Order: sequence, then structure tokens, then C-alpha cells
Amino acid sequence: MDRRRIRVLLVEDEEIHRVVARAVLRAAGVEVEEVENGAEAVRRVRESGAGGGSGAYNLIFTDKQMPVMDGHEATRQIRAMGVATPIVAVSSDSLPPDVQAFITAGANDFTPKPLTKEKLGHILAKFGLA
Amino acid sequence: MAAVALKNQLNAHIASMFAAGFLDKQFQELQILQDDGSSPGFVSEVVGLFIDDAEKITGLIAGLLDQPVVDFDKVDALVHQLKGSSASVGAQRVKLSCEQFHSYYEAKNRDGCVMALALLRNEFYDSRSKFQTMFQLEQQIEACS
Repeated sequence: MDRRRIRVLLVEDEEIHRVVARAVLRAAGVEVEEVENGAEAVRRVRESGAGGGSGAYNLIFTDKQMPVMDGHEATRQIRAMGVATPIVAVSSDSLPPDVQAFITAGANDFTPKPLTKEKLGHILAKFGLA
Repeated sequence: MAAVALKNQLNAHIASMFAAGFLDKQFQELQILQDDGSSPGFVSEVVGLFIDDAEKITGLIAGLLDQPVVDFDKVDALVHQLKGSSASVGAQRVKLSCEQFHSYYEAKNRDGCVMALALLRNEFYDSRSKFQTMFQLEQQIEACS
């Protein structure tokens, strides 16, 4: 995949967080696709033909508390498809058990809300996307 | 000339919001995103979403605390949601009020929650009033230019 073209799937049900994260991602030159719950995220990843590889997305950001399917379950289901795309949890729940629950579900990293330019920079660098 | 005076007034108003703890650095982040992205109205959009969220959520919490049996898990989820919303806009005093709320619903203390909600609402109303003054000044500046 072209390193200069970074595609992110943003999984977030609350509009204010989508608006802010979208602005941060676009300011960094990242392409963003958005879904509003975990079930939509799983479907989008499956339809992108991501099984077994890194898929259509370079990175997935997911919230925890969402209707229909939460971020933990979405992360588990995406991993069960064999998708290796880095998943970063973005949540207001940032106590160690909250972080550990996401890591156990299969997330690679965790960052507290809100997403900022600085946090995004660290994350992109960590996953070789900077 | 009037526009310059109004801009100075706006800058002083925003500075006073920082000094009084109404805003934190996240608000500056939004301002930078607005300026860098040439997205006029971005800050107003986020603040507007926050105000809508806070009005809706505080109403829902009040309704839950008014029930004979309080569903503290729902109170928890709503306060959590408002904490996230306030953090996104940099409304620091509202965010801190949400954090103070935590111990009361964890202890399933209805009276404590009612008191915490009153404090939260006061902080929100004060913040909303400050934001509204900010928007009025911005509109006046726009009308001058």
C-alpha cells in the first residue's frame, strides 16, 4: 500500500468526537472513513476484503461504548477474521482495567479521548505510518 | 477600527475563559485546526455540538435521578458521555464536574448525585454563557468586515 496514502477507519457513535477526530486526521493528510458502531465496522472491514492481511485500512480507531456493538466486541470480531490492521482504542475510560480490556480484545494501543494532533503523530509513528 | 476593538475584546474574553479555568488546551487545539484547515466555523460547530449534548444529557440525568429507583449504570454512562464531550471542546470546568460526579454514582448515593448534577449544571450554564458571548463577538466582527 502507498505509504503516502493512509486510510483510517474511524468507529465512533458520538458526532462531536467524529467531527474532532475527522479534523485531526484530515489535517494530517489521512483519508478517513467513518462508521457509527462496532457492527458497521466489522461489516466494513469484511467488505474491504481485509481477511488475513492488512486490508483496505492502515489503521482503525475505535470507541468503546457504542450502540449495537461496542468497541471490544468489534475488535474481537475483526481479529477473528484474521485481520492484522493496527487497532487503536480511543476512549474516555482510561483506567488500567479499561486499557487492558481493549488489549485483551486484540487492540494494539490505547489513547484517551480526545484525539489530538500530538497523539495522532505518536500513533502514526508507532505503526510506521508517519 | 471597530473590528479591531472587537477582536481585542474577543481575545480578552477568550483569555479570561482560560484564566478562569473554563477552557483548557484542547480548545486551542480546535482553534489551530480551524486556522490551519481554513475551516471557518469549525470551533463554533464543535462548541454547538457540546452545548446540544450537555443540554440533552443533563436533562436525561435529572430524569433518572427523579425515578423511584435510580438506574445508576445509566447515570454513569451519561456522565461518561458528557465528560467525553466536554473534553473534546476543552470545557475544563464541565469535565471536572463530571469527574467529581463519579464517586456519587459509584456509591449509589442519590442525594450526592442530585448535588453533583446541580454543580454540573451551574458549570455548564456558566460555560454556555461564556461561549455565547464569544459567538456574539465573532458575529459582530464578521458584520464589521
